[in-house]
Amino acid sequence: MANYKVTFNHKAEPVVVKSGTLITEAARLAGIEINQPCGGQGRCGRCVVQVTEGKVRQRSTLRLSSEDIGLGYCLACQSVIEGDLSVLVPEQEKVERRLVTDRTAVEVEPLPGYSPEYHQSLRRYFLDIAQPNYEDQTDDLSRLQKHLRVALGFEQVEIPVTLIKKISSAFREGNWQVTVYLDISSGEDGISLIRLVDIVPHHCENDNPIWGAAIDIGTTTVTLWLVDLWTGFVHAQVSEYNAQIRRGEDVISRIIYADKEGGLQELQQLIVGTINQLVELACKRVKDYTVTPEQILKVTVAANTTMMHLFLGVPPSYIRLAPFIPTFNQAPLVRAQEIGLHVNPNAIVDCLPGVASYVGADITAGVLSAGVDDTDKLTLFLDVGTNGEMVLGSKEWLVTCACSAGPAFEGAGVRDGMRATTGAIEEVWIHSETYEPTYRVIGGGKPHGICGSGLISLLAELFMTGVIDKAGNLNTSLSTPRIREGEHGMEYVVAWGKETVHGRDIAITRVDIDNLLRAKAAIYAGFIVLAQSVGVPLEETEQVLIGGSFGKYLNIEKSIQIGLLPDLPWEKFNFLGNTAVKGAYFALLSQENRERIREIASKMTYIELSADNTFYEAFMSAMFLPHTDINRFPSVMEAIQSVKVPIQS
Amino acid sequence: MRTITLGALPAEGGTRKRVVTVGGETAMPFMRFEGEIPNPPVVAIEIKDRKPEDWSPLLIETWEDVIDDPAKWAAAAEAAGADLIVLALSLPNRNGEPTTPDEAVASVKAVLSATGLPLIVFGPGQAEADNTLLVAVSEATKGERLALGICEDKNYRTIVATAMANGHLVTARTPMDVNLAKQLNILISDMGLPLDRILMDPTTGALGYGIEYGFSVMERLRLAALQGDKMTQLPMIVTPGFEAWKAKESKVGEGVPKAWGDWLNRAINWETLTAMTLVESGADIVVLRHPESLKRVKSAIDELMAAKAFVS
Repeated sequence: MANYKVTFNHKAEPVVVKSGTLITEAARLAGIEINQPCGGQGRCGRCVVQVTEGKVRQRSTLRLSSEDIGLGYCLACQSVIEGDLSVLVPEQEKVERRLVTDRTAVEVEPLPGYSPEYHQSLRRYFLDIAQPNYEDQTDDLSRLQKHLRVALGFEQVEIPVTLIKKISSAFREGNWQVTVYLDISSGEDGISLIRLVDIVPHHCENDNPIWGAAIDIGTTTVTLWLVDLWTGFVHAQVSEYNAQIRRGEDVISRIIYADKEGGLQELQQLIVGTINQLVELACKRVKDYTVTPEQILKVTVAANTTMMHLFLGVPPSYIRLAPFIPTFNQAPLVRAQEIGLHVNPNAIVDCLPGVASYVGADITAGVLSAGVDDTDKLTLFLDVGTNGEMVLGSKEWLVTCACSAGPAFEGAGVRDGMRATTGAIEEVWIHSETYEPTYRVIGGGKPHGICGSGLISLLAELFMTGVIDKAGNLNTSLSTPRIREGEHGMEYVVAWGKETVHGRDIAITRVDIDNLLRAKAAIYAGFIVLAQSVGVPLEETEQVLIGGSFGKYLNIEKSIQIGLLPDLPWEKFNFLGNTAVKGAYFALLSQENRERIREIASKMTYIELSADNTFYEAFMSAMFLPHTDINRFPSVMEAIQSVKVPIQS
Repeated sequence: MRTITLGALPAEGGTRKRVVTVGGETAMPFMRFEGEIPNPPVVAIEIKDRKPEDWSPLLIETWEDVIDDPAKWAAAAEAAGADLIVLALSLPNRNGEPTTPDEAVASVKAVLSATGLPLIVFGPGQAEADNTLLVAVSEATKGERLALGICEDKNYRTIVATAMANGHLVTARTPMDVNLAKQLNILISDMGLPLDRILMDPTTGALGYGIEYGFSVMERLRLAALQGDKMTQLPMIVTPGFEAWKAKESKVGEGVPKAWGDWLNRAINWETLTAMTLVESGADIVVLRHPESLKRVKSAIDELMAAKAFVS
């Protein structure tokens, strides 16, 4: 048999291998380790190398674009050497390719073309107040009002008593120089409402930041971005589980709890408490400035309708009862102190408008940040959270619905689940013969638990390797110690105690699998019903935009394999991260965007799934891997056939 | 609809004197003006491996002479006109101890030698016991083409594997839902058991106890099958005897309104009407408990099959 020379990474010394050797084997001889999480099965595509000279026979080119193949890229584990070669092994992707919201900020592009003078409703003015004397006996408040009227042209400025208290000392302490912050929000009728937000002595530096916060209150996860309203720059991104979780995992149980005596106040305090903690945390995270919560002057809030009610302390009872009418979809602006928010007591709190009881401001904000209302393409927008909300449409029309998915994809309600933060397993591959997993941990250290994207990846791998059947039952006849009887029934061990932060095994249980199945089935069923309701065939969707608390990583292929996402070409999908907080951020900065959200809210058509008898059918049908009707998932069918799954008793 | 044959003749490796073929329909039940109904629905009689403790006194009385001997009971059922026999194994044996695999095998063999009809064997309905007993039965009766049950989505692997290895069929039960029925059929066929060795049991309720729901699910399964959905093209088995004899109307003889009439007559009517409703919704095998109900159901099926109005 012929021998061939293989050179790796332009090294001087080639290795000599027999014809028919795989590139991975040659690499090992050359002392180069190529990652093969799927065990060299050609499934994961993580062993991509570039052949710069020579030819190989490729058994499989799964996951490679034709462009890449043209450039000589191939899967090292699937490429048979049939001649002299020169191979480049690309640098392994940085392990920390996800920068976690909690720790390191997701790269947020400041709003393009943002100009605070034009877009921002919160303005800062430096005033030189005329000093009083024996002739000019005007009181301080009138003096301020007169100045605002004469110098700035503001006729009617709302000034709360709490700020009236500060005027006299600010005038004198600043030696009649003060800085005032005004919020100039144009109302629906175009008439501006001007509110005094703060008055402080002296003129501050002109380029000092003006702090604002964008918040997304999710049923399970709360996210806050701390923003300099002057530059539009996001200085900190933090998130935490909603403290209300201990009073119920989903919106319905929260509403029931709110109906109990004292329940509403408690839930309101819990959510405000969570936000206050996040505010403090965010202030500490800011590197270049010393920020105190009192400096935050404007807060924009996206939330689902129930969370918005609880945030403002408004009874949400009727959201739960047919025909599902909320107290409000659009709340008026309030001041922070009215709801106990520990930012500047007079800060403006802008609660974004929602559409209906189960499609809230998180979705209108998401539609804005994803640009669904501004595209010609037929777009499916999904927000995967405790409630799976989705929007179908384009700039012509928008329909929306919501389904209860449960918190599984946010890592809650799953035994070893966690948020997408450092220590979370975010991707898993399972060897299809040994059933041994390979996983990637956010931050690169030892694992602490599994986050939503990790759970999706894990579920898909369990399924594709036959560890679980299509109904989610663990195959107990496989010979691996990882499948075992645990405290909560059968489970699969992802990480042994010796590998983990806490020394305990990390496993996925049968109960967890059922939770995940229900979550993915609810979301997929919602999509089916939505598409049916407007008579749009699934394949005609031109792009699928996905938001959710997955952190920054979501594997589209795995999501399709478990039947969470429709089986469309991968390039049609875009994962956008937390679209709700991003939309709140857009609205925080720009009045134009704020107005666009109002338009989105008024133009979306809402479909109530509980009044739709096709949903249950679609849900039961989706409670299977990937789906009871496999014809909906041709790519998965093909993938199953290509992985040999042993038939076991 | 697929055609499924239960039981194997000596020439086919079994010991049955006759086999039963079900399925093959190309139309809704009895709608012969639209398609073929090559195999009319059949009626099975359910017997136990020992005297049942929870059965209605009316049934105990009816089968009194044979009730503690599965072989005699099976013979009596055959004499009463049953097309096939369902033997339901008990969890505790006569002595109150768990039925052993040997005992189960002995009961099955006794029944097989007492009757020439095809046999369906149900485990006691508890996963672990079902698996142990049915594996033993399956191995001891290799080639008989029994139907083994009941497979459910949480417990099907062992039963399917042993049926596959020993040339038997399985019954697959799901709780009154079209999708769940399809899913279990997929799971079972994923293991490699051909679809023409699976009977599906979509579960039903008795007359007055949810039968409308059962009816509707079976009708939808049949409609899906006729529209080409492979995973629903399996003949259906249902257990109206079990359901009807649970109903208060059959179970209780005293302290009920006078207008309810004669107890025995009422109970038989209940079982018959439950069974006939299911036959009309697409059942291929109905499992009954009382010989009089068996007679009435069989005669009704005969009449429906003979009715000229239904023929094109």
